[in-house]
Amino acid sequence: MNIVIIGCSAAGLSCLDTLCKISPQAHVTVISAERYSPYSRCLLTYYLGNMMTEQELTISTPSSYPASVRFILGQKAEKVDTRGKSVRLSNGMECEYDKLLIAVGADAVKPKYCDEEKRTFTLRYMDDAKKIAAKLKGKAVVSGGGFVGIKTAYGLLERKIKTEMVITSSYPLSMVLDESSASYIEKDLAQMGIGIITNDDIAEINLHQNDLKVCLSSGRVLESDFVVAGKGVKPQVDLARAAGIKVNEGISVDEYMETSVPDIFAAGDCCETVDLARNKVSLIGLWPVAVEQGYFAALNMSGNRSRYPGSIGMNSLKTKAFHLISAGILKGEPGLKVYEKQMFATKQFRRIAFRDDVPVGMAFYNCPEEAGLFVNLIKKAQPLLVRPQKVVNGDVSISDILKPL
Amino acid sequence: MKTVIVKPERCVGCHQCSFECAVTHSSSKTRMGAISEAILSKPRIRVYLSSGKENFPNKCRHCEPAPCEMACITKAIYRDAKSGIVLINRDRCINCGMCAMACPFAVVRYYPYVRNRESAHKCDQCIDRQAEGKIPACVAACKVGALLFDEVNKIMDKDTEKLASLIYMGIRERVPEPGNFASLVAYKQKLNEIRRRQS
Repeated sequence: MNIVIIGCSAAGLSCLDTLCKISPQAHVTVISAERYSPYSRCLLTYYLGNMMTEQELTISTPSSYPASVRFILGQKAEKVDTRGKSVRLSNGMECEYDKLLIAVGADAVKPKYCDEEKRTFTLRYMDDAKKIAAKLKGKAVVSGGGFVGIKTAYGLLERKIKTEMVITSSYPLSMVLDESSASYIEKDLAQMGIGIITNDDIAEINLHQNDLKVCLSSGRVLESDFVVAGKGVKPQVDLARAAGIKVNEGISVDEYMETSVPDIFAAGDCCETVDLARNKVSLIGLWPVAVEQGYFAALNMSGNRSRYPGSIGMNSLKTKAFHLISAGILKGEPGLKVYEKQMFATKQFRRIAFRDDVPVGMAFYNCPEEAGLFVNLIKKAQPLLVRPQKVVNGDVSISDILKPL
Repeated sequence: MKTVIVKPERCVGCHQCSFECAVTHSSSKTRMGAISEAILSKPRIRVYLSSGKENFPNKCRHCEPAPCEMACITKAIYRDAKSGIVLINRDRCINCGMCAMACPFAVVRYYPYVRNRESAHKCDQCIDRQAEGKIPACVAACKVGALLFDEVNKIMDKDTEKLASLIYMGIRERVPEPGNFASLVAYKQKLNEIRRRQS
């Protein structure tokens, strides 16, 4: 069986690893537009902060795979011919397939002021990180207060670069957290030395004789040596759309990770799956979720039909000062009941949101130990058998929650 | 493939498994040496007490597929191909917290293991001891048979046979088997029963 995987990041690699394990007789071709051997995208901010080397970012090498696996690096897949079952690459090569996995991932959203001439970058690929690393100097502005923005700012801080964050909403991580829990992060970030400007956005960037002036929409002007924009990602769907595969926001897949065209599967940031906390189909652009999807895609491609149950949005953000784990939804839905316990002395809080009896969201600050348990409860939509207030207070041990399961 | 099997109903909560686990994973590997080290070795098995005062030993299950392995962004968590044990490569671990977020059994912790360097800690099924032909330290330490080291199917077979014979003999309620600390276990079970009826 000929299997072609387009994209060699989380989903593509996990699919490849699983295929090597469960059907070693299959011939697999992996196509990647990047010329580097597979690396972990989430670690680029660590690379930027000099906390890791390029070598350490690499998670596997093409040579470690058996001979039945072929890597084509540095070539973009240009066209998928669904009738003839082949993929055309940018160098004109044709790859025939029996089963195809599209795991091309997502691209960083480029705001309109984004211009590399004006030293404004996004951070998504190794090349981006290298470009930024070459321009590192004195002061920086990071636009966007999401996970990427904060991690980038933290990485730059490690390089002793004075960083200002410009956030459109009134507090950081506004997509996942509510105001009171975000205030902890705001405080800790400020203490670490990251400046935060809220309720503002970059309007224009001017380059005057090597001086970069960042004009904000409030009229303020910041001086900086370079700008990094972390404004979210958008799935790459052009390839799938051109091939006639059904595309909504991302590539639409059924519960077996198969697209509207038979024998073509999709996984990772480019496809949309069920968000179990919201109970609707949406994009979840996350490394662990992409790995899961790649795993299920591999199972279904090799003929072991297994249903992908869906996942939830979750993330872990760890810096020297704090560790936040958040998952599901914590706000923005009527009827959501939020239980919380704040411990000011130890700078901790636990917060769990419930829809009726079922937990749907959580945020743990500086207490990561039991986070996974609740993430799993949210995924399974399992009602909690103990009183929620007791849980956030830490009065019940995990055996009370685990035992009935 | 042998694995550690937990029987919570037999546990009396003596915490000897935790202690022996920490000793085995210390650099000196002796009891007196372990408690005097600069960076204290931490146990990878924990005994929790439920609100009904029942003990619950909790350790890594080495799931297949393992959620922590899937969540690891540096591929520091990997599965040993021969034994199927999920292990952590400390040199690659960057302490990002993803595995704690993914683990449904809450067994991953973060501790320093050398100066200025933390990493994720979890059970490694005493892979070094197993290479020497010994059983895992927690199982060796357990005096009441709450921790067993055997193949899952074998234990299941044994339990099924026992249950079948009990049903055949028409005994509904299980008689506590005599064994080490049988009276202590029986005493605890009675105590739990009384508490349950009171509440």
